[in-house]
Amino acid sequence: MELLNNLGMGLGVALSATNVFYCFLGALLGTLVGVIPGIGVLTAISMLFPLTFTLGPTTALIMLGGIWYGTTYGGSTASILLNIPGTPANAVTCLDGYPMAQQGRGGVALFMTTVASFFGASVGVILLMLFSPVIAGYALKFGSAEYFSLMLMGLVAASTISEGSAVKGLAMVALGICFGLVGMDTQSASARFTFGSLGLLDGISLIALAMGVFGVAEVIMSIRRVNATAIDRESVSLRAIKPTRDDMRRSWFPMIRGASMGSFFGTLPGTGPSIAAFLSYAVEKRIAKEPERFGKGAIEGIMAPEAANNAADQTAFIPTLSLGVPGSATMALMLGALMIHGIAPGPTLITSQPELFWGLIMSFWVGNVILLILNIPLIGIWVRMLLIPYHILFPAVLLFICIGAYSTTFNALTVWQVFFFGAVGYAMRIFGFPGAPLLLGFVLGPLMEEHFRRAMVLSRGSFATFFERPVSGTIMAITGAILIWGVWTSYKLSKRREVYAQDV
Amino acid sequence: MRTIKRLLAGAALALGLAQSAAAVDFPTGTVTLVVPYSPSGNTDIFARHLATALQERWGHPVVVENKPGGGSMVGTAYVSQSKPDAHTILMTTSAYATAPAVYKDLPFNPETDMKPVGIFGYIAYILIVNADTGIKTLEEFVEKAKGSDMFAATAGLGTTTHFGMEKFLSDAGLDLEVVHYKGGGDAMVAILSKEADIYDTSVATAGDQIKAGALNALAVMDDKRVTALPDVPTTAEVGYPDVQIRQWLGMFVPSGVSDEVVTFINSEVNEVVSSQAFLDVVAPIDINIETSSVPDVTARLAREMENWKKLAVERGISK
Repeated sequence: MELLNNLGMGLGVALSATNVFYCFLGALLGTLVGVIPGIGVLTAISMLFPLTFTLGPTTALIMLGGIWYGTTYGGSTASILLNIPGTPANAVTCLDGYPMAQQGRGGVALFMTTVASFFGASVGVILLMLFSPVIAGYALKFGSAEYFSLMLMGLVAASTISEGSAVKGLAMVALGICFGLVGMDTQSASARFTFGSLGLLDGISLIALAMGVFGVAEVIMSIRRVNATAIDRESVSLRAIKPTRDDMRRSWFPMIRGASMGSFFGTLPGTGPSIAAFLSYAVEKRIAKEPERFGKGAIEGIMAPEAANNAADQTAFIPTLSLGVPGSATMALMLGALMIHGIAPGPTLITSQPELFWGLIMSFWVGNVILLILNIPLIGIWVRMLLIPYHILFPAVLLFICIGAYSTTFNALTVWQVFFFGAVGYAMRIFGFPGAPLLLGFVLGPLMEEHFRRAMVLSRGSFATFFERPVSGTIMAITGAILIWGVWTSYKLSKRREVYAQDV
Repeated sequence: MRTIKRLLAGAALALGLAQSAAAVDFPTGTVTLVVPYSPSGNTDIFARHLATALQERWGHPVVVENKPGGGSMVGTAYVSQSKPDAHTILMTTSAYATAPAVYKDLPFNPETDMKPVGIFGYIAYILIVNADTGIKTLEEFVEKAKGSDMFAATAGLGTTTHFGMEKFLSDAGLDLEVVHYKGGGDAMVAILSKEADIYDTSVATAGDQIKAGALNALAVMDDKRVTALPDVPTTAEVGYPDVQIRQWLGMFVPSGVSDEVVTFINSEVNEVVSSQAFLDVVAPIDINIETSSVPDVTARLAREMENWKKLAVERGISK
């Protein structure tokens, strides 16, 4: 009963004219920022942060929150239509989203990712609403050993994420981990591969790597596709967004699995939507009956990651609001917006600031409904974006990528990184090396290393820590099972091929 | 419309005259406060409030520019290499004094390439432990920690929390293993989950967990108690008078800037931060305001850097 009262009060706060306005503003801005490749949520929130000095804390957070989850809604648009991810969390959506668009099913893909986003977000908000303190307590069970095991499992599960040669995929994972080594070592402060540059002390920029490998490389590739603008108007009409019955049938379970994985990773500080999206894609591909459909426009390949990253966006608020621990730089900004008003988030926030807590949560519903309503008619407009000649569209995309990269660090070095990774990405495309495993290695590698090192300090050098701790041990066991299963299936596959070859 | 413009121009001219009548001709254009951290931290918020107040006072735009990275060293290096006309001012923290002890190959010399304008505020640090341990006082902790296999957490190598912790361990004669986390949030999780046993942090970040009974505050690492936690004794009160660390907020300019200009900015900022209006806006972020003269700050900074360097060598932090 108390919950209902709280929800009622929260809804009252969320539905006040000011808050609805700022929620709409945030959601709209988030969508735009998401659609534009390169300009990410951190940039948008940093720029609008000074505005929160004058807004009340609840309103400020409602607006910043709107930008935060709005970005993830918009982020899939460019992935699907241009093969350039709007944000790193949408990179994996390129794999099947872009083939769908090439098959004239871009409208369907956009419509369905909006549905997946809404579904994922709803699951996340429900968890946030009902179980925040419980989940926050659970997140504390994850120490460094558990993080390492989890990241290792992710790497093992997702190593075959992309199409084509497994060896090339693994090579890219390894290269990604190598790029992740750049920067200052957290336990000894020695600078690694920085070549004396202070700007590289914090490592290579994720935005620069993702936008270079996916964005810039795609732009360079397009130069060679002369007739790229020849898109028939029929495929971009609003009628073309209607999914088939088969699409619907195939989407349910990936969406549910994606949302649950996203919710899980969202609650763990330091992980978040990118990892959630990658791993849920990997899971879909692994359990699919016909994994060969992936990478060629399988709808499961866009539904799972888009549900996952949106769910993770919502559950990321759990550690932030109920422990006072921000899981990412963006969440730290949101905490900052509370701090300037003298509110220190922590376990008592729910009871000491009920209007803020419940108002914010109910605003998530308002915001997600706004986004759902906003995004469906926008599909027609986004798809028309493809009618812009590439010689105008792509230079603009490059410009936005540079602005986006620059504004994360305010350092020109980050822009150079974009071009470096653009060149790397182009070379990779030419030689048929996939980009997704590179990004995966880059995201997981440094996390793995950091937690491995710390777990070893905490266990005083005993490797047994990864197997003795119950949660970590369980994850390790699952990882082992995945490995064995992987070897077994490939063995069976080669056996079958042998038989097949003999028949022929 | 035209008259208004003329009036404004006249007013601007009058302001300009008033300024040139003063001892120094500063500022002559836009002043940039460089914050070597991302937006939304204490330093950033402090700088933004200060910029607004100084802009009103000086009649020239004062803008905040964030140059995060390298534990504040990226932004610091940037200002050290800027034109020494004091139109680019570094607004940083005590990391200015601590970080050089661990970062090698800095492209500037923190002792000679820059000079302090002043220290204008500080954040007090407290030593915290998980409440489940039942440890309520620093004496109890030291007793339990002697010869045990406990861990001390920091928010990263070379941060103020790191040096504060090392100073405490050194003075208390403890040799706990020091574990570095990536930022204060991760370190806080480590204490809450009992992965690490003791951590030093600001009152603002730990306050709510203390209120909720999840953490115990053992001591304030300063010579004054903090208003938010009136019952928590200072380190001096419980026998560690030298375990004092303040995350201060200070301004620096390249050393080419003339002493007159530095003194001018010092007195201007001192006046702004002591005003009631400013106290009101920074009160929510738990920043204590302090004012000081340029010679005092210069001496204090030299002393601090000397101490930290010594500690870094003693504790094997620097290489």
